[in-house]
Order: sequence, then structure tokens, then C-alpha cells
Amino acid sequence: MAYSFAAKLTGVSKRYSDVTAVENLDLEVKKGEILGLLGPNGSGKSTILKMLLGLVKPDSGAVNVLGVNLMDASLALKKRIGYVPEGSYVYEFLTGLEFLDFAGDVFQISLEEKKKRIEEFLKALDLEGRESDMISSYSEGMKQKILIISAMMHKPELLLLDEPLNSLDPKSARIVKNLLRKLASQNVATVMSTHVLEIAEAICDRIAIMYEGRLLALGTMEELRQRAKMPNSGLEDIFLELTGTGDVKPIVEELLR
Amino acid sequence: MNWKNVLLLMSVNRKSSRAMQRDSFRRYRDSKTVTYVLYGLACLFGILIGWLVGSLYTGISDVAVRDSVLQGATYLFISLPTIVLLYGVVFTQMNQFRRIVKVTIQPMYWLPITWQEHTLASVLTNMLGAPMLITVFLSSAILVASFYLGLIYLSIVTVLALLATLVLASATTEIFKTTQIRLAGAITRVTGRAAIWLRLAASIISMIIFYAIYYSIYNQATPILLFEAVAGGQSALWFIPYVWLGMALSAFANSLWAGTILFSLATLMFIVAVFLAATRLNMRFGYEAPSIRISSGAYAPKVSLFGRLGFSPPEVALMKKDFRAITRRHELMFIFILPISVIIMMFFTTLRYGGSIPAGGSALLFALVTLLPGVFTAPFLGVFIMGLEGENVWYLHSSPLSAKTIARAKYFFVVIVDLAVTLICSVVSGIFFTPSLLLAMVILVEAALLIFALSAVSLACGFRGADYRGFFPVNRLLKPKWGLLNFFLCAATAVAIVAPMIPYALSILSGSLPTSFFSVISLPNYYVYAAMFLSIVIAVAITYVFRKLVLEGAARFRAEAEGI
Repeated sequence: MAYSFAAKLTGVSKRYSDVTAVENLDLEVKKGEILGLLGPNGSGKSTILKMLLGLVKPDSGAVNVLGVNLMDASLALKKRIGYVPEGSYVYEFLTGLEFLDFAGDVFQISLEEKKKRIEEFLKALDLEGRESDMISSYSEGMKQKILIISAMMHKPELLLLDEPLNSLDPKSARIVKNLLRKLASQNVATVMSTHVLEIAEAICDRIAIMYEGRLLALGTMEELRQRAKMPNSGLEDIFLELTGTGDVKPIVEELLR
Repeated sequence: MNWKNVLLLMSVNRKSSRAMQRDSFRRYRDSKTVTYVLYGLACLFGILIGWLVGSLYTGISDVAVRDSVLQGATYLFISLPTIVLLYGVVFTQMNQFRRIVKVTIQPMYWLPITWQEHTLASVLTNMLGAPMLITVFLSSAILVASFYLGLIYLSIVTVLALLATLVLASATTEIFKTTQIRLAGAITRVTGRAAIWLRLAASIISMIIFYAIYYSIYNQATPILLFEAVAGGQSALWFIPYVWLGMALSAFANSLWAGTILFSLATLMFIVAVFLAATRLNMRFGYEAPSIRISSGAYAPKVSLFGRLGFSPPEVALMKKDFRAITRRHELMFIFILPISVIIMMFFTTLRYGGSIPAGGSALLFALVTLLPGVFTAPFLGVFIMGLEGENVWYLHSSPLSAKTIARAKYFFVVIVDLAVTLICSVVSGIFFTPSLLLAMVILVEAALLIFALSAVSLACGFRGADYRGFFPVNRLLKPKWGLLNFFLCAATAVAIVAPMIPYALSILSGSLPTSFFSVISLPNYYVYAAMFLSIVIAVAITYVFRKLVLEGAARFRAEAEGI
């Protein structure tokens, strides 16, 4: 299906009782782009990802994903999306292998293809030898790897990743980063939320800075530097400047008193 | 030993146990009144019973009867430590098990708290609740009664012995806990997949042993005989440290002071040894639970049995996952244990008749053993099957699974499991009770009708009432009001489907029951077929309506992902 944007949110707002999660958001995700969502806790990052997947319905505005209006979305659309939620909730009574086998069947991957992809991913993410252990005995990082594999193994066109690199060891984090870049070169778009600014700076093509449900800034690193008028600064300084949360010195001094 | 740490840990443990029963923690306040009122009530109840017993005793004028009661009371006092030890181990195990299932019991080893303090806090916490309530009740009852019986000194020593026994039981439970975790880990590493079944088999064997003991006591022993037997057994087993407290009491009752001091000191040393052993085990294995390996060799995906039955790959995936959930999750194993317990109970009941079961009784037992396990399992499995998704329910929401797929997978999983249970039970009971062909056919058809209908009813309730909150604050799988509704709906459904068959059942039973109770009912030959047809019509109608509700529930589940 031909579509110009991997995802497009137009005038989207969402409230949870008296809390505004997202307010009048306009955002476009290009094909083959890695878009980073940055923002403090409760700034609406996870809600945006859930809206893109259709788990959360916006109160107003339109959400278009892979050329399909989410209001008309069918199950076929979900087959084209890979999702990793925040928090490693996996069926803990299954083994890693059984969970991936389950995910492969849910996404209706053929037996041969499923076997090939599972084995490749397990090897790449250093899970070989532990795949037959129950997930209940996995570390958080291992659970995260299983979730990442399950989101990627059906070759999605759009990846929605909520804090995907949390708890990963440096080698696996590097592999996932390279994998995302490789997928981007194959036109797979990725929207990922993260608190780790170095990761966002290193792998995201564009960065959206969210604050209290509003989009404060959107652009490449260079564009963000210009906007913050901080030409040689890193993302951390820009982020703190734009969100107005930069003056942490009095807090630190109070804590050390 | 820092006692403040022990008290703090006990407070945390106690609150974690309470966490299992509460809905909301936002405004949770610990009420000391609520905490201790039950112990006060147990004490008051004990005083009342002690006073009643004492009053009855003083009212007896016959000297021989008074002596007999006094003798019985002495036996009771002497045997109480062993009895308290038995229930103490059972109840402290249950407390421990509840905490293992519901909330984490991983000691916070990273805090500046010693392993002795962790172990002591755990031992004392396990004693709270039922074990302590029963002990408080017994202690106050025997103390008050002993005033009338003239056994004051013996009763005071008995109360001290009961408290020591409870500590001993709880410390033993602590050892069990650590060795269980360690053994389960070791066994699982060695035997892989078999460990899951080993765990189930161990639960069933424990239940058989429990029922066998219960059966022998129920059939043969009066209370006084039981106390005498326990007191006699203690003397015979004097070399086992767990009965030394009973021996000390026995020596005290017979004014053998050397024996009293010897066995008391030996018990004290044994309690200290058990506690130190528990501490050492916790130090060695208390850090983290071992991993469970399900060794399956090389990965070779294949079409499973469910797939060969015509279900789609996503449906098969869901059914396989649910099968693994009910065979691997502790809190769901009751689904398997329930039908097995029904069979065991029935067979123990038949033992009472020896080899000569009357024809009607044989038919009744065949019907019960064939019908009950599957029919009991369906409402439980159906109503919990959605809730067992827990916090992982996000996966169903984010996956390309249609409402129909989810509904079909869940419904037919419940039906297939229950049909399999019924089939196995019918074969076993058929061999034991040799029913007529007609009776076997009637029962099997009724079982199938009940399973199809009850699965639909309970699954409809399960979709609406599922509770997906995970282990905290509570993992109860189902909202209580839906559990209640499910119970009433399933009961009504079962009665409606079975109703046409009631005259047929009575006609079979009436032949073997006293005629004063039932006059013999004779029915025309075609009645059973007509009743079965009516049953089928009722079951199909109910199944159809509730299958629609199941589909509606699944569609609503798909649409309402928010808040997950």
C-alpha cells in the first residue's frame, strides 16, 4: 500500500480524567526514519505510542498509520507494526523460546521462517543457551531482548518502542541500535521513547521533545541546537533548556546539606 | 540480634499478607485494633469453652466418670504439643505458600539486616494468623478448664510447651521452604519438563496422604482414643526430637522431674538447632530463586495436536499458552487437582462398602465420578481463563488477533480440557463401577452437554469480570461479583440441563434405597431418550445464547484496551 508518511497525528488530544496526556499534537513520522520521543515522566510519550498502535483512542484529532486511518484500522494493520511496551511484561511461565514461538504463530509466520528468524535473533542477542529457561528466571535485560525479538521477527513496517534499550547490556544495546539503523535503511520507520539522551542523540534522525503533553520542539540535533540557541551543546543541555527543568543546582545543594 | 529489625520485618511481612486481600492501598492504614481483635476473640472463646468444660466436670457426681474425664484431660494435655506441631506445620506452610504465590518473599538481603533477623522474622510471621489463633484458643481453654480439673500446673507447662511447639513448627517450615526451592531448582535442572509434572504429582500425593489419614481417623477413632493413641505414639517414638515436648509433659504429669528437665532442655536445644539450620540454609540459598529449565532439545516448530483439530495458528498459539499456564502456575494447579480429588474421595467412599456396592449406589458413583470432575472444572477454568492473562494482556491487545479468534481459542480450550478430564474419569469409573451401556451413554452425553454450556456461561462471565492487575496489589484473576454471578449462573444452567433426567436418576436409585424413603419409580422405556432430547435442546439453547455473549465480551475486550 502506498503511503507518504509512516505515521501522522493531526490535532490529537487525549485526557485521562483531569490529566492531559497529549494536547493538540501534530506529528509526522517519515518512512525509514527513527524518531525519538523525549520528555520527563508523564509527558505523554507512552500515550502517543499507544495511540499509534490503536490501544488508546484520541479524544480529538486524527491518527493515520501506514496509510490507514486508525478509526478504520483492521487487524491487518497490526500485523505491520511491532511494539515493545514499557516494563517487561512477558508470560513468565513460558520459556523464551516458547514465547517467541507463540509470537510467531500469533503473527502467522510460516514454520520454516519462524525457526530461521528465532534462531538468528537468539544468536544475535546472546540468548543462546538460555532460550529453554523459564522467563521467570530471566533478568530484566533478557526479558527486554525477548520482547524486542518478538516485535521484530514478523518484519514490521513500523516499530513502536517504549524505552526499548532499558536494562540492555552495552553489546546488546549496540546490536539493537545497529539493527534499527539497518531497518531504517530498508524503509522501516521507528518511533521510540527514551530517557537516555545519549541513545536518542546517537541513533535518532529526528527528536521530538514532549513536556506536559505538548510538543515543545521537533527536529534534527542541529535544528534543536539552533532552536535552543545553544550551538555546541549536547542533547541533555538542550532538553533541560527547552523543558525549563535545567536549574537543578539548588536541588542538589539542598540534598547535600 | 537487633529486635527492632525483627519487628520491622514482621510488620512488612504481615502487611504483605494483608495486601493479598485488599483492593486499594491509597488510604491504607494499619489498625492495631483490627490486627489483635481476632486473638482477643479466640482468647474469649477459649475461656468460654474452658468454663463450660469445667462446669460440666464439677456437675459430674460419679467418681468413676470424673476419674475417666481427668485421665482423658491428662492424655489431651500430653498429646497437645504433637497435635499442635502437626497443625502448626500445616498452617505455617500454608502461610508461607500464600506468600510465595501472591507476593514475593525474597528477603531484602541488601539491607543492613542479618540473616538471623530475616529468619526469625519469617518464623514469627508464619506463626501469625490461624496457627496462633488456634493456640491462643487452646491455651485459654485448658488454663480455665484446669482450674476446675485441678491440673493448673500441668496446664501452665502445657501452654508453654504449645508456644515452643509453634516456634518449632514454624522453624521447620522455614527449612522446608528453603529446601523446597533448592530441591525444585535442582530437580528442574536435571529433569527439565518432567519437573512440572513432578510438582503436580507431589501435590496429588500429599493430598492422598492427607485424605488417607483423615479417612482412618474419621472411620476408626473417637477423640479420647485419638489422644491416647497420640500419647502412646509419643512414648514409642521417644527418639524423634519433635515429640520430646510431649515426653516432657508426660514426665511432668507423672512427677518424673529428671525426665521433665532432660526432655525440656533437649527440646530447647533442638529448637535452637532447627533455627540455626534454617538460618544457615537461608544464608546459603536465600539470595535468588534458581532458574527453571524446560529442556526441549533443538528447536523444531511443528503443527501441534490442536492444529490438527482444525484450529488456526493464532488459536493454537493461545491454546498452547493457556495449557502451559494451568500446568505451570502454582495458583492455577487447583484446576487439575480438583478433579483428581473428586475421584480420590469417591474411591475412599467406596472402600466403606467393601466389595459389595448396591446397584443404585454403583450407578450413582459412576455418574458422580464421570460427571463431577469435568463439570466442576468448566466453571473455574472458563471464568479464570481471561484473568490469567494478567499484566501480559497488553500482548493480546497489540497483536493481530480478532475477537473471534480469542473467543474461539479460549472457549474450545476450556471445552477440550474438560472433555479430556471427563473421558479419563469415565474410563476409570467405568472399570470400577461397570455401568450398563445405556447409563454410560446417558452420563457421557449429559457430561458433554454440561461442559459445552457451562464453558460458554463461565467464559462469558470471565470476559466481563477478568481482573488483569498483576501480583500487586492483588492477583485474583476475577472481580468477586463476577465470580458470584458465575457461580449462580452455572448452578442454574446445570440444574436446567440435568432436570429432565432427574426422574430417570430417581428410578435407578429408588431400587436400592429403603422403600419407606422412596417408592419405586417406574418409567416407560422411551422416557430416557425423550429426556435426553429435552436436555440437548436446553443445552444447545443456553450454549448458543452464551456463545453470543462470549463473542460480545471478546469484541468489547478488543475495543477497550485503554487502561491496560
